[in-house]
Amino acid sequence: MPGVILKALSKRYGDVGAVDGLSLEVKPGELLALLGPSGCGKTTTLRLVAGFIAPEAGEIWVGDRCLSSPASVVPPERRRMAMIFQSYALWPHMTVAQNVAYGLRFKPGLRRGDRDARVREMLRVVQLAGYEARYPGELSGGQQQRVAVARALVVEPEILLLDEPLSNLDANLREEMRFEIRRLHETFGITTLYVTHDQAEAMVISDRIAVLRSGKVAQAGTADDLYHRPRTRFVAEFIGRTNVVDGIATAFDTVAHGGLRLHVAPGALQPGTRVALSIRPHQVQLSAPVETADGANTFRGTVRRVAFLGDTIDYEVKIAGSDLVVRAAAAPTPRFEVGAAVMLRIAPGACVPLAETE
Amino acid sequence: MDRSIAVWVSAALALVVLIALPLGWLGWLSVSGEHGVTLAHYRDAFADPALQKALWNTIVLAFWVGLVSVAIGAPLAWLTARTDVPARGLIRGLVLASFVTPPFLGAFAWVMLAGPNAGILNTFWRSLTGADTPLLNIFTMPGLIFVVAIYTFPYVYIMVANTLALIASDLEEAAAILGAGRLTVARTVTLPMVLPALASGFILAVLQALALFGSPAILALPAGFHTVTTQIWSLFQFPPKIEQAAAFSVPLLLATALLLDVQKRLLGRRGYAAVGAKGGQRRTIALGPWRWPALAACLVVMSGAIFLPYAMLAKGAFSRAWAQPLSRDNFTLGNFAFTFFEYGSTRAAIVNTLELAVLTACIGAAMVALLSYVTNRRLVVGHQLVAFLVLAPVVVPGVVLAVGLFIAYTRPPFVLYGTLWILFLAYLTKEMPVGYAQADATFRAIPADLEDAGRVLGAGRLRILRDVTAPLAKSGIIAAWCFIFIGVIRELSASILLFTPSTKVMSVVIFDLKEEGQFGAISVLGLVMLALTFATVALVQAALGRDVLGARR
Repeated sequence: MPGVILKALSKRYGDVGAVDGLSLEVKPGELLALLGPSGCGKTTTLRLVAGFIAPEAGEIWVGDRCLSSPASVVPPERRRMAMIFQSYALWPHMTVAQNVAYGLRFKPGLRRGDRDARVREMLRVVQLAGYEARYPGELSGGQQQRVAVARALVVEPEILLLDEPLSNLDANLREEMRFEIRRLHETFGITTLYVTHDQAEAMVISDRIAVLRSGKVAQAGTADDLYHRPRTRFVAEFIGRTNVVDGIATAFDTVAHGGLRLHVAPGALQPGTRVALSIRPHQVQLSAPVETADGANTFRGTVRRVAFLGDTIDYEVKIAGSDLVVRAAAAPTPRFEVGAAVMLRIAPGACVPLAETE
Repeated sequence: MDRSIAVWVSAALALVVLIALPLGWLGWLSVSGEHGVTLAHYRDAFADPALQKALWNTIVLAFWVGLVSVAIGAPLAWLTARTDVPARGLIRGLVLASFVTPPFLGAFAWVMLAGPNAGILNTFWRSLTGADTPLLNIFTMPGLIFVVAIYTFPYVYIMVANTLALIASDLEEAAAILGAGRLTVARTVTLPMVLPALASGFILAVLQALALFGSPAILALPAGFHTVTTQIWSLFQFPPKIEQAAAFSVPLLLATALLLDVQKRLLGRRGYAAVGAKGGQRRTIALGPWRWPALAACLVVMSGAIFLPYAMLAKGAFSRAWAQPLSRDNFTLGNFAFTFFEYGSTRAAIVNTLELAVLTACIGAAMVALLSYVTNRRLVVGHQLVAFLVLAPVVVPGVVLAVGLFIAYTRPPFVLYGTLWILFLAYLTKEMPVGYAQADATFRAIPADLEDAGRVLGAGRLRILRDVTAPLAKSGIIAAWCFIFIGVIRELSASILLFTPSTKVMSVVIFDLKEEGQFGAISVLGLVMLALTFATVALVQAALGRDVLGARR
């Protein structure tokens, strides 16, 4: 089971660098999500890996085979990959069984009987046994999705590519299919590249996530890494919600924002430089005001807006003596109303310095 | 990249042979004199009062045909697209029939119906009222306008009906909820949205009238006036004045190009962009007591375009004397015998027509399929230019194309005049845009994902063409074949300048028969032509699973 290595890939469309010196490694058997907003180059990256387009610079390696370089590109049909498309791309003139069996036509030495058996088995795995003779037009969106999955997996590809495969499904089905895809990945263990713009989807499905921005990898890591240790403001804001506080480092563990002093877990702050901190809303603790307000990162504030979300309450709190407004996600009790005075407390470890201030 | 070059070289060669060479010669001959470049031919052409008159007649004809087409086509489109008028399917079918009827057949039928002396409607009128002046005279400018417009209004109909079908009622309801009354809604929302389609339908109708040769030749010449197309044709008669014909063709070409550009802008700016939204209901408007009068009005229009002319052709085909009443004595199959066995050139012409139609349709369909695949999948550098060139013949009226082809292929290196090949080139060039539009829509409807999905699974490009693209594109390409076929069997305006005694086609023979007053034989050939046309239309509809007037499934 080989992995995939992308080395300094570039591909331009006109003046726009869709992919701009992108390097990335997908480890053998790993499911890696390419996550980013539209136009970040994630689909172009996937199509480069599939061999539909040629890179202008850089190389793509699978195991010890160099599949793409500016000099030569192995065509898609010889890459031993499979791909699941956003539109599913099921052939409307073929039945479910014919769709799924198509890729097996190109496996030399596979007898018709074996082929049929593998198609039946794969349809059973995606819970579509009995649908062999249907046409795609006669299936629901979720069923079409499963056919697309079966068609890709039945050829036992070395690499599986998925291009926003769930974006055409409704919310419930999408949630269900996330777990389904994860289950199939754990069953087959195929090295997988998964393109999505939905961070929740990426977090549920993938082993690791590469956040893309302007054709480059902004940060790659596990969901946990990206959430708790974002390196840039972009990543911090893209993965989950966050408060970003701009300031100037006054000591190796302190950041000043106006008159406010925020303590940060001791780290590598350069005193005198500009720095931005990411503070996740659920790490802002709210409590009723007390007379003696001290301790690290404890501030007075006023509730400006309240939104009840069921399992949490979303607060917007203005910090006294500062222009800073932070969002806090707190438990449903105790509950504070708009205008209520509150105490905020933020653990120094929850203030994550970001590498770029932008 | 070598694949690119091969496609480019063949496409470029084809387009040179089909367009650049004829039009290049046309332009050159129009300015070449014995002592180099001259504008003398233009001066001769446009200083000649007869030619000036022809030019003016054409402008009058085209303008009025446009107006009448809008006056007929727009209400019909609204009635069938938006109201509960009865028999909407029938009306649509009749509009389609009018669309595919060769206009010159309609003109012949109307000569038999409303010729001032023997015309059946006039004899009926005289016997009814005892009057001795005819009720109608088809050999007049209004008569010509009428006969052209009844086969041209479908262009307006198609544009407007397809646009109305795309405007969701909620756009109108959004205005109503804000306080606009029904008339205000129509004036401020519906009409402005339909206006580009209306204007563009008007322009298409004008273009048809500009380029038409058959109907003016049948109706205007006996009436003693010319249009530009008949004038060009007469400049080709002995002694031929080819240079003047060329000079006279250039303005027609430029006018067509200009009008088409205007039409494209009209549609591009607001037309489809504004009505592109998907979904939304289209509620039908209840006409109440006006339902049946509305249907009657539609049928009156259709009797002019279809019922009366078709009945007239049938009567002419089966009568000894077409002007005499229906009776057992007057019934005969002799016209068929005469047409097929006695009249010299008919059988050869039918064979020529079918050969040319099949050949042009096959080669044309293959070419447009290849070219539209290449442009849709962007397989070559500069694919937009290929698409532009393939559509370019749209701006060339048949007569003008024929003048160009005549000049280009009566001299070395390609002497094709006198062979069927020059007709083949004319037809291929003329029908290419129609076929390309159909093929292009076909490939546009097949997402590239469907092909890519097969590629990753191990199929090469050619294999995918066979397994995925071809089965999905088949019906669309068959439709393109049929459109080209229909276009060829009815073609007259280019054929009339390019035929020679051994290369006559059906439409030319019909035209010859007119000179001899053989209306029985004309009717027989007309019926054959209509039968061929409708059989092909039926084939298209079966292939596409919808009627050919629609913009979408």
